[in-house]
Amino acid sequence: MKQTVTSRVSLIYTLSVRNLWRQRRRNTILLVSVISAITGVVVLNSLVRGMQLQMVDQVVYNLNGHITLHAPDYRSDPAITRGFLEDSDEFAHKLESVNLAGWATRIKVPAVVMSERETRGVQIIGIDPSQEHISIVSDLRIEGSFLTDSTDNRIVLGRALLTQLRTKIGHRIVVVMQDSNNKSIEVGFQIAGVYDSNSEGMEKHVIFAGKHALQQFLKSESITELSLRFNTRLIPPGILESISQSFPNLEAVDWKNIDPILAFMYESVNAMVYVWLAIVFTALVFGLMNTFITAVLERTHEIGLCKSMGMKSSLVLYQVTTESLIIMFLGLIGGLLLSWGVLQLIGDGIDLSAFAAGVEMLNLAPKIRPAVVWQDVSIVVIATIFLALTASLYPAIRAVRLDPLVALRD
Amino acid sequence: MATEILTLNNVSRTYGKEATQVHALTDVSLSINKGEFVSIVGPSGCGKSTLLNIMGALDQPTRGEVRFDGNSLGEMSRGELTDLRLQKFGFVFQAFNLLPVLTAAENVQFVLQLLGFSRPERQTETKEVLDALGLADVADRPATELSGGQQQRVAIARALVGEPALLFADEPSANLDSTSTRELCELIRQINTERGITIVTATHDPLVKGYTNRSIHLEDGRVVEDKSIP
Repeated sequence: MKQTVTSRVSLIYTLSVRNLWRQRRRNTILLVSVISAITGVVVLNSLVRGMQLQMVDQVVYNLNGHITLHAPDYRSDPAITRGFLEDSDEFAHKLESVNLAGWATRIKVPAVVMSERETRGVQIIGIDPSQEHISIVSDLRIEGSFLTDSTDNRIVLGRALLTQLRTKIGHRIVVVMQDSNNKSIEVGFQIAGVYDSNSEGMEKHVIFAGKHALQQFLKSESITELSLRFNTRLIPPGILESISQSFPNLEAVDWKNIDPILAFMYESVNAMVYVWLAIVFTALVFGLMNTFITAVLERTHEIGLCKSMGMKSSLVLYQVTTESLIIMFLGLIGGLLLSWGVLQLIGDGIDLSAFAAGVEMLNLAPKIRPAVVWQDVSIVVIATIFLALTASLYPAIRAVRLDPLVALRD
Repeated sequence: MATEILTLNNVSRTYGKEATQVHALTDVSLSINKGEFVSIVGPSGCGKSTLLNIMGALDQPTRGEVRFDGNSLGEMSRGELTDLRLQKFGFVFQAFNLLPVLTAAENVQFVLQLLGFSRPERQTETKEVLDALGLADVADRPATELSGGQQQRVAIARALVGEPALLFADEPSANLDSTSTRELCELIRQINTERGITIVTATHDPLVKGYTNRSIHLEDGRVVEDKSIP
């Protein structure tokens, strides 16, 4: 039995390869179109995935983290009264088994900032600079000086806000906030420095102060958030639930909840990747089918001959299908190799700084770096095999249905 | 006593529908015995090829019954008929009908591969039959590069290599010159006498008919003469 199968497989393979070689010009064109389609899908998907992951990176990096823990009612009323006490030892203990790049505790409250000339609404963020290696703070371009530690009672503004307030580094500004007794307080801060970022929105609306200094002004020992950043670009599955259980008195929200518009865009990109794949492969299936129908029609006589000599219909079907699988397998290998080459060429990223406004609106980095998602590549591989079988099915059935006698007369 | 290998009882074959119906065969009854070398002769369009196709399980009669080794072909499934053609029948066609993508040896091996022979078995059997038919020198040449006579001999080698019980040859000399035809007929007769393979050939060539030991004459789809040739 095994010998029979081996012998027939060998026959099918020989016939398929020779038939493909016989029409080498046509099949080369077909192969090139398969390679192009697979390369197009893999490279474009990698770019889209790169954009998608960079959007997530930006949100995570922009002082949100992958997961943020708040007091349950903080998000509806972000005030110091909705804070919780910081217990670093307890946090470290609960997070020791989680694969984190780091965590940071912060105070985020709304405030009004006034210079001698202008007034603006902002968010004041009390930070401990030593914890902020996980956020954009460590990468901000600073003119003047940044906060030295969490007790530093100076302030750092964005350049856009500095311009709006028409003030300077070293000058004092007044920040109006609500303290832990729900009383408005006015605190004078000296401007330590000014930061530049890729986001004008951030420059206009985010100001930094020392966390402990801010606690003193707000008459509170609380923080308003514990921000976690993982070593991976996305949150590992199941980890949000596990962290929620570890901090039962806090509300754990992931970046999707923090930025639902971005989450929608993220999911839309997921759908887009598969729609694009479906469109390209559907177009390809008709091209392939057409070629294989032609191949079967050209070989009607030979197929009839094989059947008349005792070749079973199943073997005729396997032969046509094998030809399709060989073309698609070669196309797949070629497509993946070419994709690898193209991705090496554009691996450093595509510069989008010419579209700065759009880039900022989409929360993108100024350079799009492709990201190969192996799940997408696996889907391309599976889809290619499925495509090969689908495209050859109709021609193969036509071949199977040929009456050997009629075919021999052809 | 002669053993019947193939029997036809009142076999008719019509093509087309009522108004344009063509009666290719009408009430043909005959038996082929083991070891016979039979020619089916008659003018063009008399039904020779149709009869051969029905005998070879390539076509089904509209009426009547065909039996091989006592089994009715009409009761066999399409798959069983395919197996029968593979295991018991060999075919030599008028137009040689070699697979152009294969070499001479590969064309011969084709049947053995369908039969599930191992590679060493295939090589041994193929070499033996090609040597026997004087084709050793062209074994590795593509089928398309062989002369007409060589192609027909490869086609015979292919038909023989599976050691069929019955070999059908449809106008085997149609594309050959007289010298090649004579060589071919000698070869077929040798196969018939030395290997004991029953051979049925449709031909209008008197030269081919002269080599056979029985002649069935058809006219307008009917058997008009069935005689032994001494």
